[in-house]
Amino acid sequence: MRACLLLIWVLLVLPAHGAAFDYGLEPRLIAPDTWLVEGRREAFSEHNGGHIVNVVFLATDEGVLLFDTGPSRRFGEQLRAAIGRITDKPVVHVFNSHAHPDHFLGNQAFDDAVIWALPAVRELMARDGEALAGNLYGLVGDWMRGTAVRLPDRSIEQERFDFGGHRLRLIALQGHTGADLALLDETTGVLLAGDLVFHQRALTTPQTPGIGVWLDDLERLEKIGYRLLVPGHGPPAPDARALIQTRDYLNWLDRLLRESAEAGLTMNEAMRAALDPRFEGVALRRYELQRSVSHLYPSYEQRALTSPPGPKYHEKAHR
Amino acid sequence: MDRCRPALLLALLLSCGLAQGAGAPDPLGSPMWDYLRERFLGDDRYRFDDRVRVELPPFAEDPTQVPVTIDATALKVPVERILIWADLNPIQHIATLYPLSDRVAPALSLRIKVQQATVVRAAVLAADGTWYLGGRHIDAAGGGCTAPSQAAADPYWESHLGEMQGRLFPPHSPDVSQRARFRVVHPMDTGLVDGIPEFYIERARLEDEHSHALMRLELSPPVSENPMLSFDTRGVRELRLWLRDNNGNEFATGVAAGGE
Repeated sequence: MRACLLLIWVLLVLPAHGAAFDYGLEPRLIAPDTWLVEGRREAFSEHNGGHIVNVVFLATDEGVLLFDTGPSRRFGEQLRAAIGRITDKPVVHVFNSHAHPDHFLGNQAFDDAVIWALPAVRELMARDGEALAGNLYGLVGDWMRGTAVRLPDRSIEQERFDFGGHRLRLIALQGHTGADLALLDETTGVLLAGDLVFHQRALTTPQTPGIGVWLDDLERLEKIGYRLLVPGHGPPAPDARALIQTRDYLNWLDRLLRESAEAGLTMNEAMRAALDPRFEGVALRRYELQRSVSHLYPSYEQRALTSPPGPKYHEKAHR
Repeated sequence: MDRCRPALLLALLLSCGLAQGAGAPDPLGSPMWDYLRERFLGDDRYRFDDRVRVELPPFAEDPTQVPVTIDATALKVPVERILIWADLNPIQHIATLYPLSDRVAPALSLRIKVQQATVVRAAVLAADGTWYLGGRHIDAAGGGCTAPSQAAADPYWESHLGEMQGRLFPPHSPDVSQRARFRVVHPMDTGLVDGIPEFYIERARLEDEHSHALMRLELSPPVSENPMLSFDTRGVRELRLWLRDNNGNEFATGVAAGGE
């Protein structure tokens, strides 16, 4: 009887949660010393445990430098174990690109490293971190067990950061959440764009200070020479295609919201708008459009009610 | 015996039809249905009818600003009153509409607060005394009604309370309605947050250029902060929206066709 119940339990629990909350992390070498753990192009779910984000680390003779730590304590611990299979050197530096939960809630597993973030990123984590973690518990469930906010130790004030024979440049941007870090490895030509760039996965807008600010950041990144761009979500690209897709999507979204507001459409009507066939291969397009309309449409509506359209209107709509 | 069969079949078919329409159990399976039916509809006749359109996104990205569109135009019957409510909100009633003219559609778009995943319904009272019901489910992480308004943390509203904007958008083609949209600065406090009393717009009236009322509305605190109300009208040159809150403040603004 007991064995039978156990069998039923195993059959019920295993398919739902994967084999004992195993994220199945497999780092892939993408450039000298540079390893990528690529996330799924999905929304948060109990099925994926929040493994929807790209994490990159540099394994050097001086130790390991890690860019983002994933969505949960379990993820951080499994990431640490995966790094341990590649190098016996310790993780020395950790960078949190921005204050979204899938990028920093693995911090607890790297308590013995120095965790770095932009000052404003740390402030956002301190203010919203617990609420974001609580929300993620609701979305992915027990994968999150034991996860708590572990704030960064050090503020990024410098632009240069050289480590393990790599010349690194830290780039402070704003477009995605108001404080966003990108990292350029001048030695290998790898640009870690964080969530300023999404590729084959629709971008998310809950904290953006505005589409115009985001587009300005992309313009800045475009001028940087790189050999490989790693987006925050989606596959890396050896050229500008990920950056261009992000820019095209933002321009399309801006125009859609403006024209919808100018036609007097309601929020529900804007959420139902036709999707652009250019983005056919982009995952979660409808889902993220519904979210973005919720985040951004009210300011476009207000503009349509207060200021008549004119030549300056387009520019204002961006800011 | 054989001759009775068609009549028997017809009776069976009719009773099946009734079982799905009038007096039927809630097709959305909400636990609050019986209680709220009694509260809002009493013993009146009712039926579930897909022609009562309730439009919502599948999930509440922001539970303090959930867009809702209700539209009873497809019923093609004279409408006396439309009730809008959310089954699982601590304050269920959202709005009651009284369409008073055929120059305004029996419809409204607005944004509401939801406290948790819930069914949102529109009950349309037709002139024959029957209620026609439409509804839809929305997923939500929750907290919309017990979260303080943004205004509660920001003194901006105190100097801008009641400021209104509006615009009358022309129809895209002759057989389509005009869209009138109005926004007003108001905290719409629910009274469910500690130390912040109920403070909300409770009455509204949409009028034409001759001050004839096209629609009268009663609103409840689950209407979102800084309400945005959209109406569909036909052949009007000018419109005016008048509002009054539960503290007696009155606000109004007008819009005109082709003014821009």
